[in-house]
This record gives sequence, C-alpha cells and structure tokens, in this order.
Amino acid sequence: MKDIITQLFEIENKIRPEDFQAFKRNFQRIYHELEQEGYTVINPIGQPYDERDVAIEANISNEDKRALVITKVLKPIIYKSEGGIRTLIQKAVVIVG
Amino acid sequence: MAKMENINFGIDLGTTNSGIGKFQAGKVTIFKNPVGFKDTLPSVIAYRNNRILVGDKAREMTTINPDQVFSSFKRKMGSAHLYQVPDSCETKTAIDFSALILKELLGFITEEKPNAAVITIPASFDTIQSNATKLAGEAAGIHEVLLLQEPIAACLAYANVQNIAIDELKNWLVYDFGGGTFDVALVSIDNRELKVIDHEGNNFLGGLDIDHLVLEKLLCPALEKELQEENLWKQMVNGENTAYSKLFFELLYRAEEAKKELSIKEEAFVEIEIAERYIEILITRKDFNQLIHPKVDETIKLTKHLLEKNNIKNSEVDRIILVGGTTYIPYIRTCLSQVFDTHVDATIDPTTAIILGAGYYAGTKNKQTTVTKEALPATLKNVKLAYEVNSKDNEELLTGIVDQDFSGYYRVTRTDGGFDSGIIAFHSKFNEFLKLVPKTTNIFNVKILDKYHTVVYENEHIGINHGIYNISGQPLPNDICLEIDDTLGTTYLEQVFRKGDILPLNKKLYKTISKTILKASGEKLIINIVEGKSDTSPASNLCIGYLEIDSEDLPSNLLKGTDIEIDFDISESRDLTVNIYIGAITLEINQVFNASAKQVSAVKITQELEKVLVELENIYDDEFEMADVPKLEELRVEVIELLKLLIDIDGDLLTDKIYNIDERKRKAFQAYDHLIRRRNVVAEIEEYQAQKNEIREELLLKPNPKIEHAFNNITKNEIKFLNSNQSSIIRSKIRELQKIANEIYYQNDQSYIELFYYYAIKPIEDYTDENQAKKIMNNGQKAIDKENYAELKAIITSLYHLLKVKPKNFFEDQNGTLGLK
Repeated sequence: MKDIITQLFEIENKIRPEDFQAFKRNFQRIYHELEQEGYTVINPIGQPYDERDVAIEANISNEDKRALVITKVLKPIIYKSEGGIRTLIQKAVVIVG
Repeated sequence: MAKMENINFGIDLGTTNSGIGKFQAGKVTIFKNPVGFKDTLPSVIAYRNNRILVGDKAREMTTINPDQVFSSFKRKMGSAHLYQVPDSCETKTAIDFSALILKELLGFITEEKPNAAVITIPASFDTIQSNATKLAGEAAGIHEVLLLQEPIAACLAYANVQNIAIDELKNWLVYDFGGGTFDVALVSIDNRELKVIDHEGNNFLGGLDIDHLVLEKLLCPALEKELQEENLWKQMVNGENTAYSKLFFELLYRAEEAKKELSIKEEAFVEIEIAERYIEILITRKDFNQLIHPKVDETIKLTKHLLEKNNIKNSEVDRIILVGGTTYIPYIRTCLSQVFDTHVDATIDPTTAIILGAGYYAGTKNKQTTVTKEALPATLKNVKLAYEVNSKDNEELLTGIVDQDFSGYYRVTRTDGGFDSGIIAFHSKFNEFLKLVPKTTNIFNVKILDKYHTVVYENEHIGINHGIYNISGQPLPNDICLEIDDTLGTTYLEQVFRKGDILPLNKKLYKTISKTILKASGEKLIINIVEGKSDTSPASNLCIGYLEIDSEDLPSNLLKGTDIEIDFDISESRDLTVNIYIGAITLEINQVFNASAKQVSAVKITQELEKVLVELENIYDDEFEMADVPKLEELRVEVIELLKLLIDIDGDLLTDKIYNIDERKRKAFQAYDHLIRRRNVVAEIEEYQAQKNEIREELLLKPNPKIEHAFNNITKNEIKFLNSNQSSIIRSKIRELQKIANEIYYQNDQSYIELFYYYAIKPIEDYTDENQAKKIMNNGQKAIDKENYAELKAIITSLYHLLKVKPKNFFEDQNGTLGLK
C-alpha cells in the first residue's frame, strides 16, 4: 500500500498549481479513505530541518547560515494505525537546503 | 543443579550497519529498531546541538558536518586513535563508539536485556582488535562476549536456514559486497568445524560506488542533453552551485532506486523534476550491467586471487554464498556463476545473514559464567514530568525534574517510531520540545540514563493529544449528529462531533445516496442535523439544521449509490454551516443555520410520529413490566394527540405552535427510548450473539475459509457496535450474519428439498403457466427420489421464473427515507 500512496503523492505533486483546484476534492477524498484504513500521510515540505525527526530521511545539500528547510519531498511520511497503535511504515525522503 | 542457559543473542557489529537477533524456538528473530523499524542500524555516531545521535540521523549529518560525525570507526578498533568530540575537550576511542552502537542495539530488545552475546568480527581482525571488540561489549553491559568471524556467521546462517547436511569437507566462498566495503573469504566446512582459510578485500568498494556510477555515467549525460548543460557531474560535486548540489542528492536517491528496480525488472524509468519540467530517463539492465562490469570484475579478480594463493580450483568450491545488499544485483550473481562455474547461493536475505548466523551460533553456546542477576542500577525516584496533555501546537514542551543532585542523560522517543530526541546530557532538570503528529494521540517514551548510559528511569506512557482539544474554546454541550438511513428502511444517528469537543469545529463526511431521486419526481433528499445524544432515536433530539433538496432543484437525476460530500463547520458562536457537494451532478449547496433559529419540519414530525404509533400499536403489554404498562398507554395517547395537533395547525405560519409540538415530540421520543428502544437493543444483542454462536458451531463442524473470512469481517469490531446502543447498526449486523447462515444452509444439497416444497405448496394459480408448473413439480419429485440435486436446483430456478410475483429477497437493501446513508 505504501508504494501506491507514494505514487498518489507523486501524481498530486505533478499537477500544476493552477490546475489543482479541479483535483482537490478527489485527493481529499482519497486521503480520507486512506485515513479510514488507518493510513496517515504527511508531507513535510517547508518544515524546518530537525535532527530529532526520525520519520524523515534527509539529504542535506549545504548548511550555510540560513536555517535548514525541507525544500523537496520525494516520498511522504506514512504511518499505519492498527488496534490503536500507530507505526511508522515509510520514512519521508527529502532534500534539505 | 543450576539450569544451563544458552547465550541466544547474536550481534553483527558491522563497519557500515549493525543488527541484533535472538535464537528462539529453533530460529533466529531479528529485532527491529524501534526508531524507524528497520532491521539494521547504521554504525554512525554524530554530535549536534548537544545531542548524541546514533544511526540514521547521525549518518544524515555526514554531508554538512563531517567533523561532527563518526563512522567506520570499526576500522580503528584496537588502535590508539582518539576522536575529538565537537565543542568539548572530551575524546573518544573506537571502543567507546562501538559500545554506544551496542547499547543502541540492546535498546531494540523490549524484554530483559542480555548479559551475554555473540558479536561478529571481520576475518581480518587480529587479537588486539578482537579484544577491543570484547571491551566494547563489556562497556555496553554484555559481561560475556563470544566472538565469531563474519564469514563463519554467514556460513552458519546459510547452513541452518536451508538445513544443509555437510558430510565431507567442503570449501565455501563467502562473497560479501556491502554498501561501502567488499570482502571475500574462503571457508572450509564439515560437520565438525568451520574455519576461515584465507580472505581478501577492498575497504573502499561498495554499493555506493555503483550509485555514483549510475548518476555520473547514465543520468548526467541524459540530463546534459535535456538541459543543454556541460560537465553536469562536475558542477554538482564541486559545491559551487547550490541548486546543482541539491540535484545531486535527489539524483543519488533516484540512482539507488533505479538500481533496486533493475534487480527485479529489465528496465527502470528515472523521473526527475527540474524547474517544473519532468524529465524521464530510461535505464536498461543491459546498460547498467555494462556500467558496473569493471566494479564487479574488481571483486572477481580479488576472489580469483584468493583461490589461487590457496591452490583451490574452481571445481573445489562447493558454493558461493552471498552477503551484503549489493549482491541483490542479478548481474553479480550471473558473473559469479559463470566465472567460477559453481552454485551461487542467494537463498537468504544478504543484508541480515551475519545477524542470523551470529544468532544460530549463540543458540548453541552455553553461557560459561554463571552471572548472578545483577542488581539493577539504583532506580531514580521522584522524577517529575510536566507537560500539557492536549495541544494544538506542532510541538509541546516536556519538562523533567529529578529531585536529586543527578547528572546523566535523557532520551525521548515517540512510540510510532517517528521522533527521537537523541541522547542529551542534563543536570537535575531538562526541557525538550516534543514533535507531535497532527490530529491524533502521541505516545512518548522517556528514558533517563546514568553517566554510563545505563537506564535508571523509564516512562512509556506520556500521551499528548494533538488538535483534539483546544484549550481556549468552549466545549460542545451535546453530540452533533447527522440522521442517516440504514439498509432496513429506518434511520439512525451518526455522530459528527462529540460532546465535549471544543469549538470551532470542522469535519467532512462522505456518504452515499440511498434511493434514486428522479428529477421532478417530487421526492426529496433530506439533510437533518440534530443536537443531543448519538445513541438515541433521531426524533428525540433537537434539530439544529434541516435542509430539503427537492427533486425539481436537481440539475439531473440523482441515482442510488452516488457519492455525496457533507462538510460541517461550527463556529465559536455555534453557527452551523453545511456545505453539500454531489460531484456526479455538479451540485453544491452552502447553507448557514443560525443557532437562534429553530429548524422544524411539520411533515417530518408527522412521519416520525406515524411510524412510532404503528410500532406502539403492535406491541403487547405482557412483554413489559407492570409498572411500565401505564406509561406505554400514556405515550400512545400523547403521540395520537400530537398527530391531531399537527392536522390542526396545517397552514399556520404565524404562531409558534409547531415549536411546542416539536418540543413535546422530543419528550415523547425520549420516553419511547427509555421504555422500548433500550429494551429492543438488549434483545438485538442477544439475537446477534445467538446467531453468531450458531454460525461458529456450523463452521467448526464444516470449515469453509471463504465463509469464515466473511464471518470474521462482520464480527471484528463487535465490541464497538454492540456498545453503540444503535439498534440500526446491530440489526444490520444480525442481517449480515443471517446471510452467512443462509449460505451455510444451502451448502447442504438436502436444503434444496425444503426449498422445492416451498415452491410446490404455493397455489397453482400463482404461476403464469399452471400446466408447465405442474409438470416441473412432478419432475422435481422424481429428482428428489433419485437424489439428483443438480436437477432439483435447475427445477427450483424454473419454478421461480414461472411465479407471477417473485418472492421478496429478505436480504435486499431497503430504500432509505431520507435519501442518505
């Protein structure tokens, strides 16, 4: 399932912002259905880099004086909840710069 | 006599990655890292922002703070090399770092930590390096360390997993091609011993080199054409252009993914987005094999050299066993097989083979020393942890206070594996902002360690709810529910917001249309939102939002099964906004219901009262307790009176009599819930349990995996639905069970005899062709006499088709009254 979610995430990111409105409800619905099945999908784009966030596999290009921020997300974070217990099933793969 | 215990725990303390496993019940189980849930842990330590990071996060720092990251320290085991800890005057040895890795691995074990373990070492380790490994083990609290050479561990893993009988002396080659290093060892193996005869290796040849090659030689030239750039590789690696430095890491990730894909498929597509342009590059396995050929050749040369210097011919090698992730590449397997003309064994996961082997070995070795159960280090008392249980922020502060003059470390991890504070030094008090996963409960584990990194306090139950409550807002006094149809022709309430939820609130529900509403048919789609208790009759609650969508207002026919989205929004001042969207007919309605205006429909009240009156008139007083009988009569009278009043006020748009009726109706329904509904629910639970037990017994007598699967699906959430107090839901479940019971019943051919008689005893005039029906019935009787059930089934089908009015399908879903389910 995590591969399907990652593909969905890629499709979502390929849609140009000006065209996205037409697909918005469909994505909301899909993510809602995924949540019903126990999957939580998180896109960490724009978040500051945090070395404590082990749900993220970061590729850090350069640490200059600016704060490090996640600039690109290649794979989203996916958690799966079963029997009231949530487990990380996919780490995000991100570019930090 | 003291019971002899086996060591059982095996550890692969690798140069690049490490792991731990345990021998139990005849096999080795590998422990997963509770942080990220991987089988292995990168053997990397980093220091950042006063934290000690171990594993994946430490490795991440390599590119930006190489001076704060320590890896491959295994190569310095036993040497006098000292590592300078950043921002401190402290120095560390390879033993210290290895001990940290070992402690981290021991942390993977949830049960009691072992005091004895097998730890693997490279075949090249001398006595000093081996002793240094033992010291690292002891420093990690492993009092008895048994060393095992990595190639031997690999042989043990392959031999044990496949149960290979070795009756005569054989030579095995252990080909270990990992992420960063290559090693090959020649091992002699017989039923008594395993011995490393000799080994060869290259410390700077691994899978990462292959990823770099794919990037430089396959991806860069293709991208240069697309981007009309030159020397892209150089521009990426010289670090002058930030955009290209970022691209390097993305391409490196894509190269690794392509490498993995090519292990399964003949070709892989690499897709890269550059400046909103998607560029696709095709890599075939043929191109890839050509590319990596020189690297593979290098390993083959080393392997050949190993055999030559030990005077072993290819024919004398019984098999080559594979270790290390890079050996997943099919080309490597093919090359080895062709060059050495021997069996290449790739039957087990090469990335965990060493852990497995160490575990098998540990499972056969007795503990030599009787270690008396060591007294646990003095446990810290009076640890106070302060935090907010509910939060709307992305991070929540945790303060830990130790009521002693304590110096040590703390570490906080989230139990879902997504957060790890790292190990941080503190003195009597610490503060840590904990990252929260939105809109859910976050459970954290807090550990306090002494100066030797031994756990002296642990609390695994720090729960923080994110987004569930807003501390500043007002709580809802009652549940807010949507009335929906069930499949039995009645309605029930679905909770949208729960009593106590804090305003403002927003939620989207996805429902389906429960009856076909043809345009201009006069039918209506009803959205009824009530405030009250979700486990009561819809009519006993206060209506706060009522909307009728007339068929005339529909842009086209609305078909049963169409999806409908309903978005609920309640403001701080309790205004309810409902947005309804039906994508199939592009209908969107936005309606605001003001909290001060009551929502009442006389038609709906009438329908509700008429329905309950039918039920009241069909119940028998003797089923109730004596004290309740007068109350039932009172309720019946009240319902009739309310129905009369509704007729009286027909057309009255001025007075507020309808509100008075509505108030009385709700009271009447509350009495109904108390007297009848609650009693019905108990009876339905009993019926459900009886039906369930009956099916369970049938399945025990005659197991059927398909029916069992369906049965388990129906019953899996029974605690929830049996406690829902929702008659509709329980009745739906009973019907699903009845459907299964019916299926079980008709598994038996003889059941069809009964079904035949059901048709045979019907009046002959019920059939369209009476003569034909009689003839078929005669044939049916003959089929029963001959026990020809196949024919009997065909005869029943023919009779069904001849019937003027088809029998009602008991299991068919009923149309809804509201139009929404």
